[in-house]
Amino acid sequence: MPSWTGNRLKQLVLSGDHDVDLAAVFDASPNSYVLVTPDLEIVGVNEAFLKVTSSVRQDIIGKPIFSVFTGGDGEGALENRRQVRASMERALRDRQPDHLALVAFAIRRQHRDGTPFFEERLWSATHTPIFNREGKIAFILQHTADVTELEALRRMRTDVTSPQTALDVMTGGDVLRRAQQVQITNMKLEAERNRLIEMFMQAPGFVAVLTGPDHIFQILNPAYSQLIGHRDIVGKPVLDALPEVANQGYIDILDHVFQTGEPYEGRKSRLQLQRVPGARLEDVYLNFIYQPIRDEEGEVLGIFVHGHDVTNDVIAADRQKLMIDELNHRVKNTLATVQSIAMQTARSHLDIASFARSFQARLIALSHTHDLLTRSHWEGAELVDVLLHETQAHGHNRIRLDGPAISLSPSAALSLGMIIHELATNAAKYGALSSPGGLVTIDWYLESLQERRLVLNWRETGGPGVTPPTRRGFGARLIERNIRHDLAGTLVLDYATSGLNAKMTFSLDSSAVE
Amino acid sequence: MTETLKGRRILVVEDESLVAMLLETILDDMGCETVGPISNVAEAVRLIEGGEPLHGALLDVNVAGFEVFPAAMALEARGVPFVFSTGYGEGGLPEEWKGRITLQKPFTEVAVEAALKRALGA
Repeated sequence: MPSWTGNRLKQLVLSGDHDVDLAAVFDASPNSYVLVTPDLEIVGVNEAFLKVTSSVRQDIIGKPIFSVFTGGDGEGALENRRQVRASMERALRDRQPDHLALVAFAIRRQHRDGTPFFEERLWSATHTPIFNREGKIAFILQHTADVTELEALRRMRTDVTSPQTALDVMTGGDVLRRAQQVQITNMKLEAERNRLIEMFMQAPGFVAVLTGPDHIFQILNPAYSQLIGHRDIVGKPVLDALPEVANQGYIDILDHVFQTGEPYEGRKSRLQLQRVPGARLEDVYLNFIYQPIRDEEGEVLGIFVHGHDVTNDVIAADRQKLMIDELNHRVKNTLATVQSIAMQTARSHLDIASFARSFQARLIALSHTHDLLTRSHWEGAELVDVLLHETQAHGHNRIRLDGPAISLSPSAALSLGMIIHELATNAAKYGALSSPGGLVTIDWYLESLQERRLVLNWRETGGPGVTPPTRRGFGARLIERNIRHDLAGTLVLDYATSGLNAKMTFSLDSSAVE
Repeated sequence: MTETLKGRRILVVEDESLVAMLLETILDDMGCETVGPISNVAEAVRLIEGGEPLHGALLDVNVAGFEVFPAAMALEARGVPFVFSTGYGEGGLPEEWKGRITLQKPFTEVAVEAALKRALGA
């Protein structure tokens, strides 16, 4: 009997107490064994292994196991090698036996004429770490059983008339024990699966698993449940579970994913949900993925749904766009307003210096009212503040103000500011404010409390006598337009010999303007 | 050059008084007759549907917070050509009105005239 690794193995593995040559026992075993170093180099094999693998001892000792046993050149060889190697690595890492219930691994054979070929075989394998005296792993012992025929039987079991035959083989000791080990591994897998489900449950995004062609809800996490309004939908097909989504295109997408196996990604996708029975549909926006779930044969069994509710992001982005548009609108409108003031002021001023004075005064009048409104965050302005702002340049003692406290809307404040500016400018040029003794009295009252109609009188006294102008200048047009259109009010101009009287009437309710 | 638009009745829908006045002045210089200016959409629609004689229109897109499109549709129904004016820029028009003749605010007299001529085919 060839003393294969006999002496080395004896030194390392066995104590000297035995008078039996355990190496010989090993060699005589009908089960096939191979011993490898932690670097996966073959150091020993028994006769059964040589027989099963059709190999010669000298050819393989000292060689890396996967260089002599490649598992063939078929497509699956790489994956098969990976599985065996992974089992060995687990045995090394966990320092305990690792079981591979079933692994395919092709073995080199020879045709009768001597040409080699690979034969696919199925194996059940155990990798056991062997420790030295220091407690370090010296070797891994691989025990393999060829289960090709057994597996073929198992696959045929529906056709087998007497299941007894398959059972007989299975209860044949070795395989049963390994089956029990597989059972333990399955329990570990079960624990693993539960941990995974727990992770789904705690995920901040929504998660659901749909099964079958009708997309039946199998599990869903609390985030998903919250999304759909906590409806009880487990075990129901999507169409029954969420009837409101029927015509929104999502079921078509699910069908497509299920039929083609192609995943689908939705971005900022709008979904209308009825979260409360009888309530109206609510818009939500979702980023989500439909991922096909496949079995080992690649058949699609269901769809994994996961995603996030991005409704708030979408609303915020919409609001921002709206604000930017509104800002743009206002800036452009203000520029158009300034342009209008410039062009129309230019028409009534032949020399540049007087144009510049008049243009600036109008811009500043506009700007004053803006200042007032900015102070109140554009909620409105007090009438008396607007009047004071637009007349203060002419001296407090020349202007009399008399009336109750009145709040103006922003648009009314802007219009009235421009009107008062034009009246004051006109008075300073031709009216009461052009002579030292002249005076302007502004008084106002609410004509109708219910409709909040304001009457405002501008009266000039002590100035030079006035006559109606022959042509209406920009100022007069501006006043009229602002009263009639912007304030939806009326204007009565009385060119009395004592001075100009202007009577304005308009509603303070901005809704009445439109 | 302004001869071609002489005597045309042009509706102006614009809520900003000063801008409306400017358009009025520009149209006056071109020999056009201003109809309006009108500062709200509902009134504009009433006037258009009421059969007011019109050759064209200048429509501010945002009229005191309301979109002017109902007035645009009423004009289209009568076959009256129009020009949009907007401060929103190119992207300011919704899909169904894209590609229409548009004046960008602020505008020059030359731009107003050119846009009206294009719209009226004058």
